[in-house]
Amino acid sequence: MFRNLIIRDLKIAFFTSTNFLFTASFFLLILILIPFIFGSEIGLLKIMFKGLIWIALVLSILLTLSRIFNSDYDDGNLDIIIRSVSSLESIICAKYIAYWITNCLPLVLFVPIVGQLFNLTFQETVPLMVNLGIGSIGMVFIATCISALTLGAKRTTFLKGIIIIPLYIPFIIFGVDTDSWPILIGLSMIAFVVSMYASIYSLRLYGE
Amino acid sequence: MNLKISNSQIEHIKGANSYLIVSTFLIFVVGLYFSLLDSPPDYIQGDSMRIMYVHVPSAWLSLFSYTILAISCIVWFVTRNPIFNLFAKSIAPIGAAFTLIALVTGSIWGKPTWGVWWVWDARLTSMLLLFFLYLAYILLWQSITNQETAAKISAALGIIGFINIPIIKFSVDWWNTLHQPATISKLSAPSIDINMLIPLLIMTLGYMCFLITVFLIKLRIEIIDQKMVRLSEV
Repeated sequence: MFRNLIIRDLKIAFFTSTNFLFTASFFLLILILIPFIFGSEIGLLKIMFKGLIWIALVLSILLTLSRIFNSDYDDGNLDIIIRSVSSLESIICAKYIAYWITNCLPLVLFVPIVGQLFNLTFQETVPLMVNLGIGSIGMVFIATCISALTLGAKRTTFLKGIIIIPLYIPFIIFGVDTDSWPILIGLSMIAFVVSMYASIYSLRLYGE
Repeated sequence: MNLKISNSQIEHIKGANSYLIVSTFLIFVVGLYFSLLDSPPDYIQGDSMRIMYVHVPSAWLSLFSYTILAISCIVWFVTRNPIFNLFAKSIAPIGAAFTLIALVTGSIWGKPTWGVWWVWDARLTSMLLLFFLYLAYILLWQSITNQETAAKISAALGIIGFINIPIIKFSVDWWNTLHQPATISKLSAPSIDINMLIPLLIMTLGYMCFLITVFLIKLRIEIIDQKMVRLSEV
C-alpha cells in the first residue's frame, strides 16, 4: 500500500505539469534572473548563486505545496486513502517521498549543471548539493505539516507562506554556511518529528 | 466540551477590570515620573537611554505573552476545556502589539546609539520572527471558517512556534552580537544600577497590569462571542 501510494503520486506528478522538465525549467529560470538583477561580474555571480539557490528552493516549495494534500482533499480522494490504510504515518511518508522526489531531487541534481553557468566547478558545488539535500528534507517536512494544518481553508497561499517562512529561517541560516551540515541534519530530524505529530493530528481531524 | 462560564462570572471579570484600569493608570504615572524625571541619565548615552524604560518591559512582555499562549495551547490539548483556547486567542494580539512596540522603540533607540535603524543581528531578527509567528497565529484563526477546527489547528500552531522563545532569550549569549547582553538574570545580582532598576521594574509592573486589563477585555469579548456562536448553532 505504501509503495502503491508513492507510485500513484509519482505518476500524477510525471504525467502532469509538475514533471521533471517543468521543475528543472522553473529552477533554471529563477536562477537566470540573477545576472539580470545583479550584473554579470563573475565573482558576484558565484556569491549570488550560492545564496539565491535557497530562494529558488523556498519558492518552488511554496508554489507547489498544495500538491501534497490539498488537491487530494478537494477531490475527496484523501478521505478514501485515509480509510484504506492502517496507519496515517504511511500516507504522510508516501506523499512526502513522492513530493520530495519530484520537487527537490531535480534541484539538488541540477546544481552542478547550472553551477557551470555561474562559473562554479564541480568541487565547489558538492557542499552546496549536500546542504540543499539535507535542508530540503527538513523544509519539505515543515511544508507538509503546515499544508496539513490548513487543509480545508480557502485561499491560504499567502497564509501558508507567512507561517512557513519564519520556520524556514533556521534552515537557511545554517544552510548557506557549508560547514554546518550536521546542524542541518539535526534540524531536519526535529522537523520530521514535529511535523509527523502535527500532520497525523490534522489528518485525523480533517479526515473524519 | 462546552464553555462552562456563567454570566455572573463574566460580570465578575468586568468588575475586576475596573480595579485593574485604575491601578494601571496609577502605576504608569509613578513609573513615568521615576523613569523620565527621577532616574539618572546614562554617562555615555545621556538622556536617550530613557527609551529603555519603554523598550525593555515591552520586549519582556512579548516573550511572556508567547509563553502564556503556548502554555494555554498545551493545557488545552490536555484538558480540552475551550477556555484555554480563548486565553491563547485573546493574548495573541496583545503580544503582537508588544513585539511591534519593542521593535519600533528599539529602532528609535538604535539610531542615536548605533547609528542605524536596523541591524540583522540575532536578537533583532528573532524578535521580528516572533512578530511573524504572532501574525501567523492571528491570521490562522481568521482564515478557517469552522470555529471548532480553527481552535484545534491554532493550538497546534501555537505550540510549534514556541521553539523561537529560547532562541530569542539565549541568542544574545550564543552569537556575539551588537545588542546588549542580559544585565538582569535570576542567578546573580543584576549589573544595572539600582536607580535605573527601580523605574524599570515599576514600568514592567505597569505594562503587566496593562496586559492583564486588555487581556480581560478581549477574553470577555471572546467568551461572549463563543457563547453566541454556540447558541446560534442550536
